[in-house]
Amino acid sequence: MSGAACAYTATLSAASPMTVFLQVGVGTFTNPPYIDGGQPANNTTINTVSASIAAGVAGTGTAQTMTTNSTQATSYWDNYSYCNVPGQIYIGGFYRTTGGSTTAALVTATVPAALTDTTGDTIPFSKITWTSSGNGDSGAEPFPAGTFVNGGVQNVGSMASNTWDESCWTFSYLNNTLPPAGTFTGVVKYTLSAP
Amino acid sequence: MIAVSRAAWSTFFLACALSIIWAPAAVAKTIQIDDTGTQSLEPSVSLHWKSLAPSRSGADNTMLGTSTLRVRLNVMPWLHRSLRIYLNLPAQQPGPISITWLTQGRFIAGQLRSGNRVLVYAGPITTPFLEDTLNVQYSVDGSLVRRTFPVTFHFETDED
Repeated sequence: MSGAACAYTATLSAASPMTVFLQVGVGTFTNPPYIDGGQPANNTTINTVSASIAAGVAGTGTAQTMTTNSTQATSYWDNYSYCNVPGQIYIGGFYRTTGGSTTAALVTATVPAALTDTTGDTIPFSKITWTSSGNGDSGAEPFPAGTFVNGGVQNVGSMASNTWDESCWTFSYLNNTLPPAGTFTGVVKYTLSAP
Repeated sequence: MIAVSRAAWSTFFLACALSIIWAPAAVAKTIQIDDTGTQSLEPSVSLHWKSLAPSRSGADNTMLGTSTLRVRLNVMPWLHRSLRIYLNLPAQQPGPISITWLTQGRFIAGQLRSGNRVLVYAGPITTPFLEDTLNVQYSVDGSLVRRTFPVTFHFETDED
């Protein structure tokens, strides 16, 4: 047989090769859970973690468990009841990348030097610690237990590429000093950095 | 004369046996079909994550892309004959790739993994060209996608 036989060639390329998602506290998924087709969305809510210390307890050295106003108990991955609110705050996310990257994405916390009140009194951020767990979890958490630094950027966890990672944090105030009475606040910002 | 010695019969049967063993099998010749009239409606195929969010185990990294392909095969050499046409997706870089396709009815819809071929047409050839529009979906492991890459396939038939 004669003829100009040839093959057809299609050119393929990744349209959106990298996707990142980080959720601390409440988040938003459209039509959750993910395993049923839900997709992550933006949520600008800033959740609080707080403790009210009675006068007779302040400075005794007895750590005070903090609670959150976050209502995020379920994992958007499968709607599993993963965290226990108000005692725990959810942290989770993922980063999608092509090419089989083995470099993990890092989650960092940008921490002020101290919590402050309206008169300028301070409590060092290092007085706040957290433990990490998750209902049904075993083994190491992707976002492990830690203690805040007094100002600066610290690593609080990592994500392997193309995996969903999540933990539940329980915060505590060490309560081993006696600051002046007042309301002390500070904002910690969490950042996901993908390679 | 019908008297045949024992030695002669042995030689006769041995010769038959050897002739059966040595008879060469008929080998089908694969012929690539001219598809120079085939064109895609899209200049390139954009791959998207099958699932925007990954699994906890990181097991599903599938990326999908679709395109519409107007297939036009020159089947003039087989006019007024019966023909079986296969779609062949050779093994190629960057690694295993799968395609599935729907048709307008002239061809057979199906799916194919690289390194294989599958029947897409079987029947008489009554016109010089065989045409159909295929909605093709490409599926590839995203961990293999490092840059833009070509995927090549062709149509072929076998002839004795």
